[in-house]
Amino acid sequence: MSVQVSLAGPDVTLGMSGEDAGDIVARSPTALFWRRFREDRVAVASLIFIVVLVIIAVAAPLVVKLFGLPGPYVQNLNLTNAFGEPLGPSAAHPFGVDGLGEDIASRVIYGSRVSLEVGVIGTGIATVIGVIVGLLAGFYRGWVDTVLSRLTDLVLCFPTLLFGIGLASACALNGCFYGLIQPGVPVIIAIVVIFGWTYIARIVRGLVLSLREKEFVEAARSLGASDARIMFREILPNLAAPVIVYASLLIPVNILFEAALSFLGVGVQPPTASWGQMIAQATPIFNIAWWWMVFPGAALLLTVLAFNLLGDGLQDALNPKAD
Amino acid sequence: MNTSIRRRALATVLVLFAAAAALFAYASSHSTTVANGAGLAPAQTGSGENLYNGKRGGTLTVYDSEDFEHLDPGEAYFALDYEIMYATQMPLYEYLPNNSTTVSPMLASGQPIVTDGGKTVTVHIKDDVHFSPPVNRLVTSADVAYAIERGANPNVANPYFIPYFGDIVGAAKATGGPIAGIVTPNATTIVFHLTQPTAILLEGALSLPITMPVPESFAGPLDKDKPTQYGTSSEVFTGPYMLESTAAGKFLGLGYQPGKSATLVRNPNWNPKSDPAPAYLDRININIGGASQVIGLQVLKGSDSVQNDTPTNANVELAYTKYYKQLYAVPGAGDHYVSLDNAKGVFSNVNIRRAAYAALDRAAMVKVAGGTIVGEVATHFITPGSAGFTQSGGLAGPKYPWNEYPDGNLTVAEKYMKAAGYPSGKYTGSQSVKIVGSDNGNSPEEAAIVKDALTELGFNVKLVLVDQSVMYAKYCGVPAAEVDACPEVGWIRDFADPQTILYVPFWGPAITPTNNSNWGQVNNPQINAAMVAASQVVNPTAAADAWAKVDDMLVDQAVAIPWIFDDQPNIESANVRGINDLWDVGEWDYGYTSLDNP
Repeated sequence: MSVQVSLAGPDVTLGMSGEDAGDIVARSPTALFWRRFREDRVAVASLIFIVVLVIIAVAAPLVVKLFGLPGPYVQNLNLTNAFGEPLGPSAAHPFGVDGLGEDIASRVIYGSRVSLEVGVIGTGIATVIGVIVGLLAGFYRGWVDTVLSRLTDLVLCFPTLLFGIGLASACALNGCFYGLIQPGVPVIIAIVVIFGWTYIARIVRGLVLSLREKEFVEAARSLGASDARIMFREILPNLAAPVIVYASLLIPVNILFEAALSFLGVGVQPPTASWGQMIAQATPIFNIAWWWMVFPGAALLLTVLAFNLLGDGLQDALNPKAD
Repeated sequence: MNTSIRRRALATVLVLFAAAAALFAYASSHSTTVANGAGLAPAQTGSGENLYNGKRGGTLTVYDSEDFEHLDPGEAYFALDYEIMYATQMPLYEYLPNNSTTVSPMLASGQPIVTDGGKTVTVHIKDDVHFSPPVNRLVTSADVAYAIERGANPNVANPYFIPYFGDIVGAAKATGGPIAGIVTPNATTIVFHLTQPTAILLEGALSLPITMPVPESFAGPLDKDKPTQYGTSSEVFTGPYMLESTAAGKFLGLGYQPGKSATLVRNPNWNPKSDPAPAYLDRININIGGASQVIGLQVLKGSDSVQNDTPTNANVELAYTKYYKQLYAVPGAGDHYVSLDNAKGVFSNVNIRRAAYAALDRAAMVKVAGGTIVGEVATHFITPGSAGFTQSGGLAGPKYPWNEYPDGNLTVAEKYMKAAGYPSGKYTGSQSVKIVGSDNGNSPEEAAIVKDALTELGFNVKLVLVDQSVMYAKYCGVPAAEVDACPEVGWIRDFADPQTILYVPFWGPAITPTNNSNWGQVNNPQINAAMVAASQVVNPTAAADAWAKVDDMLVDQAVAIPWIFDDQPNIESANVRGINDLWDVGEWDYGYTSLDNP
């Protein structure tokens, strides 16, 4: 039996010839990640769902046209009965219509835009802020850590939903901060950012506190690396996995937060389609117009579930030892 | 999470959701027998009902999702409050439940006597009406005088004292003490001296709760508190019912628990010979709170109960199709309109207002409000059942091009946009239009229709929906908020005088910096002058004509866009013989309501 070794690069392949030959392949961390991720069919299905959702959201006008649906803001009161109540699913309107005769399938499709905007953009900005705050607090410790940690605790004390309702109401007509934050989706993103960075900051701070004591940090320091280089070139790459996992779990939380604000009437304003707002409008007539609540509710459920399962899958793939 | 556990969890969640959705769809499967667009036969209106063939006894349960605002006759100015007031007190005059145009003497012994060219009004009162315990004694004219005078007390702050009683000599500067223009020469006579010949207005105002007698010996000490404790914790009554109270007259905690319940019991000192109300019921239990949709189903399928709120569209339809005899749609319940800012912004241009009026699909707004059962398309501002309605053109309204198309007409609208200086027929300016609507009930859809119409005219519209109380208190009722349009403002007449419909919402000097009810800040000198002139017309027929002319001017100037003459839907249980007050947006009249099997 002979052993063939190729040392050409990262993809090191060790092969064994002979009757008992089998390939033992050493892979890069990325390759390992994908292999473990691919094995998790639930996570893959969730990822596919999210990718399709993003495509639908981005190409919403095209999707609506492709299915032959009317636009989300096209009112048609001929599709309501004599009491102003909407008619149910039909061939022309597979998800039925709402109280203004607007097509619900179309509005569910457009509603994905709001959910993804708030979920992804809000989480993205909150993540950046949280990572920076956590990094600075954990690395410098001392008074920097004290100030930033107390600030984090202070923001955590705020009743998020109540404050969100108040801020959204106050900014509803003319926006806030001299028009810097406009009513509608920008206000909700601002609320998500203001309150969303704290959890990531805490997690990152804890990780940085332990990473800063590692030998590679000491080695970098002894080679004369600046604090900024150590933080962003040495420590930050090691935070990527947990931050990505946490951010992916934060997205559905923020999607639900937007739905809750819209349900309470302080989120996205009509006629902009929002799943939470559609559920709120359907509530008084839930017993006779079930479609108005069920379809946006299903979309919300499946989206939140997909992100949660994706986050779970990412955690397993990035950190299998956690099992 | 272990993959197989995750898979099982996912499968479980999806199966549960699918099952819930299927159960939901099955449970709510609903086929309406009312085809889309089919004309509906009218619901019962309550008019023409026999008021006097009920059976005595029993307890009525009233479900009310809203709480009362005031139970003091000097402060009450809300339809729900009036239900309690008129069941427990006797004003000088009152409309019978099935009559919304002519008052009947209640505490008064006859019609008011007008002399001195309309500047003096004399009223004689009955001599056999007593207060409830602990006061017990006979009601005198001094009690009526005190009741009106305390309206000027800042601790009471009656909201309509100045508009309706301000012409009484000395009233403009009154602060709660005796008013020179209110004289009581004897125990059963009260005389009002006016600074102007506005007797017609005062006569109508004598049906308001402020004329319900109040004993100064009992209420005086309570009126020293700010706000007064009379009607907040304690009160005495003159009507067939009273709030259940202690021997000292305190009802708070017993007959009224804020946010929870109220209980009306028989007034032991009530004299049935001096009150036309038969007062069949022994007791009325009012439950406060709950979701309107659920309450409605409870009432329709239950017994001995009525709903005090506007039922949801779904329950109106259910009642109409399956419980027809338990549904009433009472006409003359006020109107709703889209207020337009006449003072600033794009709508300060009369032609743009006319364009918006023409473009709006008012029929669609009525449909989303609940259809023809709950109202008709409005074409002017004086409401059905009020003097001046017919003279204003009735349901068809004044003949102006922008008023001719209830479904909206973009061609006519564009014509007025061109007249406003936009040759393309669409707005090309840079100003955006701010609309603030209510997020309650059907209001979001109504606001969306208004937004749609303005968008078709080229406007960039910002729509915000807030709670109704916030809509009025923070936006529409505050001129400084600079809201261009409020789609769901509404008005209910105070009594059957068109002045009570047009004066406060459209008279320029009535504009206030807060709590403003002239939501469009209408301040047209010609209209103001016409209103002042109409208010001084003594002859009722001529007065109705004068106010109809004012109404016509309001439509001509498109100061606002009226869109519905409201009919109030009410529902009751099968064994309830409910009587609606046609003059008070159809609120239940407990003095005449009875049970079939008490």
